[in-house]
Amino acid sequence: MQMQRALSSFSFAPAVKVRLINAGFHSAADLSDFRPLQLSKEAGISQEEAEEVLQAVRSEPYQGRAAGSRLTALELLESEQTLGTIVTFCSDLDCVLGGGVPVGKTSEICGVPGVGKTQLCIQLAVDVQIPVCFGGLGGQVVYIDTEGGFFVQRVADMATAAVDHCSLLAEDAEQRAALKEFTVETILSNLFLFRCHDYVELLAEIYLLPNFLAQHPEVRLVVIDSIASPFRRDFEDLSHRTRLLNGLAQRLIQMASQHSTAIVLTNQMTTKVVNGQSKLVPALGESWGHAATQRLILHWEGQQRLASLCKSPTYKEGTVPYQITGHGFRDVVRPCLPRTSADPSGLTFGSACKRPRLEEDGPP
Amino acid sequence: MKLEVMDWEQLDVNPRIITAAKKANLKAAREILSFSSADLQRVTRLSQCDVMSLQTAVAAVHRKTPLITALQLYQGECPALEPGHKLTLGCPVLDSLLRGGVPLSGITELAGESGVGKTQIGLQLCLSVQYPQEHGGMGSGAVYIATEDTFPIKRLRQLITQQSRFRPDLPAELVDSIRFSDNIYIEHTADLTALQACVAQRVPILLSRGLVRLVVVDSVAALFRCEFQADETVERARHLLAFASSLQRLSRSFQTPVLCINQVTDIVGNSDPARCTYGLVDTRVLPALGMVWANQVLVRLMMRRLEGQPEASDSGGVPRKLQVVFAPHLPQAFCLCSVREEGVRGISLSVLSQPQAPELGLQ
Repeated sequence: MQMQRALSSFSFAPAVKVRLINAGFHSAADLSDFRPLQLSKEAGISQEEAEEVLQAVRSEPYQGRAAGSRLTALELLESEQTLGTIVTFCSDLDCVLGGGVPVGKTSEICGVPGVGKTQLCIQLAVDVQIPVCFGGLGGQVVYIDTEGGFFVQRVADMATAAVDHCSLLAEDAEQRAALKEFTVETILSNLFLFRCHDYVELLAEIYLLPNFLAQHPEVRLVVIDSIASPFRRDFEDLSHRTRLLNGLAQRLIQMASQHSTAIVLTNQMTTKVVNGQSKLVPALGESWGHAATQRLILHWEGQQRLASLCKSPTYKEGTVPYQITGHGFRDVVRPCLPRTSADPSGLTFGSACKRPRLEEDGPP
Repeated sequence: MKLEVMDWEQLDVNPRIITAAKKANLKAAREILSFSSADLQRVTRLSQCDVMSLQTAVAAVHRKTPLITALQLYQGECPALEPGHKLTLGCPVLDSLLRGGVPLSGITELAGESGVGKTQIGLQLCLSVQYPQEHGGMGSGAVYIATEDTFPIKRLRQLITQQSRFRPDLPAELVDSIRFSDNIYIEHTADLTALQACVAQRVPILLSRGLVRLVVVDSVAALFRCEFQADETVERARHLLAFASSLQRLSRSFQTPVLCINQVTDIVGNSDPARCTYGLVDTRVLPALGMVWANQVLVRLMMRRLEGQPEASDSGGVPRKLQVVFAPHLPQAFCLCSVREEGVRGISLSVLSQPQAPELGLQ
């Protein structure tokens, strides 16, 4: 139980910890009946410190992931289902992801330049705003651009296509009413953009993000495009980088679950030599591989763009084709033929047609 | 890097925390932010909560860019963050392939085999940048960093005399009034040290004085390919990254397009798992410098000769293919163009009977 937790495992200042332990306090339960003034006298710490200690000990169960520990698996499943997913507008990929990019979790998208990482991010930033009556989340977006790849022109393209798509689907009065609010202008106005140019600026934004999310409870998606570029330069000391990245990953996971938002990170690929054979692997090293809950790798095979789910606690690994059209991230229309033209009408995206997967990796 | 000294007065945190930070001899905001939370706890002897509130408060003070929405960008309210303007290539067909021209922020790469016409495009941009903004230019000069050959001054002269023919859309007196060759600053860098010094010192001076609004590097591959041995890939990657990030910084801070001309490398062998072909199947070459460089490029273009194409009817010479390999705002499309006496011109799509590139959605 929580109250048995050793005081030494709490994140107090080292000096405070020593005093508490010297005064004979060892677990959280030892402090349960104390008031700040009493504790400060007893342990010889300032009253302010005592208040902080008591607050930390008592509020602990409500912080971060610990909140989940008091739920049953069924409740957890239900709460996860109510959070929903963000569709990608590529039904094959949605299928692999179990409905789309999960809210409340972190997902990483890796890939070589130009394969479509930014396109997928922008697509998600538009799709998360689809009104609830259309099966969307009606949420807002925070987009942190570190590479300068965010072109508002491109967002407008995809927003226009999404609005057109929804207006074709509108059937009842509620949906028609929602469409009045779902315009290119509102989509753009619900996308908050931050530009960061180095890792310090990125860290600063991430430290400020919890406050921003608290002020904007409608945010359902945070995109960081990319996490790799600021962390791949300016670092001489790689162990420092690893420590920063570990802390960052921890904060992001916490933020995703506390503020019920999906966090999507993009990562670059790098060449790695294994047993004399070189291959492309996601950048930022082995330990970063544990950072995100899900890892999606986008890659080329000949002329075909493929998306592979490489790491997921929930779904089977799989590889599906996709394409990037003027309208955005889409299903491949005819997977067997070389595509001579994109679907000009934009009508078929999001349709229910399921294509056979090109290849499927079995579970390990 | 210069560190701005922290103004402790501005921080919205408990004075006790500030005292601890000062005691730990922390001075700059960047310094505090770049510590991992565990390291900062160790240095300041503060608790985790305190460290978090310190970093949040410092971050709030350190943040310089304001919060904006995409709508504000779209409506052009923040020209400093996303200029709607792009630098024209001087030809409507080429511009429409690039949705207006070369973006002002980020590295645009043009790769191709030797003699295909990459330098021509570089020179052409050096001229078009000098026109005023309403004609797609930037009303300023260009700096041309030549690392391979000597600067093709004869060809530049020819292009200048042909300007009125190349840009018939512009008033003749405007074309005549610009002294093109006076506004092109040529830098020859024969080795990597010279190139780095040029980008670190001379180019920033030209940019900050407003003398130039375009940087052309012709070519980026030459020095990085020849100065490193095969076993120095890590060292090469480090230099390449540093070079790319200084170009990116210049481009961003001065809203200046950067064109890097790149060589190509042959595709050898069939299945190299580390090779990325960017979905190009009909090519025997790929841009040089590998994944390290590719990750730094915002817009990658490739110029290629067409195999087995007959000579074009008029003075155009053999048509070339200008292909968008990747760009966040462009489809993977191409157009045909020809290198003419007066400059590189695109061949309008309506003339072509060929099928379009795959995944072409725009235009």
